[in-house]
Amino acid sequence: MTDMLTIRTDGGRTWFRPGEIIEGDVSWLLDTDADDLEIRLFWYTSGKGTRDVEIVDSSRTSVPGQNGNRSFRLQASDGPYSFSGKLITLSWALELVVNPGGVSERLDLVIGPQPIEVQLGRPDGF
Amino acid sequence: MVFDRRARLRIRPADNPFASHRIDALGFRPTGPKPEDLAERLDALGGRADVVGPEGSGKTTLLEELSRRLDGEVALVPLSGTSRRPWSTVTARLPHPVDGRHSVLVDCAGLLGAAGRLMLRRRCRNARRLVITSHRPGRLPTLVDCQTSPELLADLVCELTPEHADRLDPILEELFRRHDGNLRLCFRELYDAFAGIR
Repeated sequence: MTDMLTIRTDGGRTWFRPGEIIEGDVSWLLDTDADDLEIRLFWYTSGKGTRDVEIVDSSRTSVPGQNGNRSFRLQASDGPYSFSGKLITLSWALELVVNPGGVSERLDLVIGPQPIEVQLGRPDGF
Repeated sequence: MVFDRRARLRIRPADNPFASHRIDALGFRPTGPKPEDLAERLDALGGRADVVGPEGSGKTTLLEELSRRLDGEVALVPLSGTSRRPWSTVTARLPHPVDGRHSVLVDCAGLLGAAGRLMLRRRCRNARRLVITSHRPGRLPTLVDCQTSPELLADLVCELTPEHADRLDPILEELFRRHDGNLRLCFRELYDAFAGIR
């Protein structure tokens, strides 16, 4: 069997406005007992050059056992928005991490005023 | 023109085949010892060795590969040209004290200068292993001499973007020559070409 991790946001939403509360639940089915699980809300950059990452909010569950589920409630910051320019893309995501072992699952999100990432260098920005 | 300009402008940086996260994920390409033999070879050299090679030849990638293959506690110290106080970076990353459980790997050790390298060797005299990277051989026994070639560049480009490999192939040898075999610079130029920069 392989470890199964799932992240679900309420209503299956993947777009949230800056500063909005993000609620949902996570579930796990593991081969062995984990010490703890952590759900993280973070943004990261990818593209040319050094990558950057910042965890904006997180929540940890101790002694989760081999399987289970729990709800989460995390808050996005007011910025930065999800965007793409020519040099970098800034993306937001939720990540569920199992410790020890580092098995993880990720759900990509868009954080911004509109449901698509801001496109820098375009007249309308979207 | 290798790429259609309109197509280039639609590529998000995250989706660019030459984005840094994709380059980092390539892993070490052995031109000498196999990755699984690195630890044994290092121990055969007495646990003190140098990874040698020019800029952009994969020394950092090799050091990261090695760090995953060593037993015991591994301290990987990444220095770069932007490290304003390289020795402070080293001391902040080293265990206190460094003893026989530790393997210390220092990238870009040349930035430490002669005095800094001497201090590093003193500080790590009880370490189980000490590996540094440098541009020239001679400071420690050579673990791997990293070399690049147009063929290696072509292989890596094919892995990064198999759908464009045929179209890129004719320009790779000239690109390799223009950057003196520095693969990092080759990838940056290819990134720009895909992003429509310049």
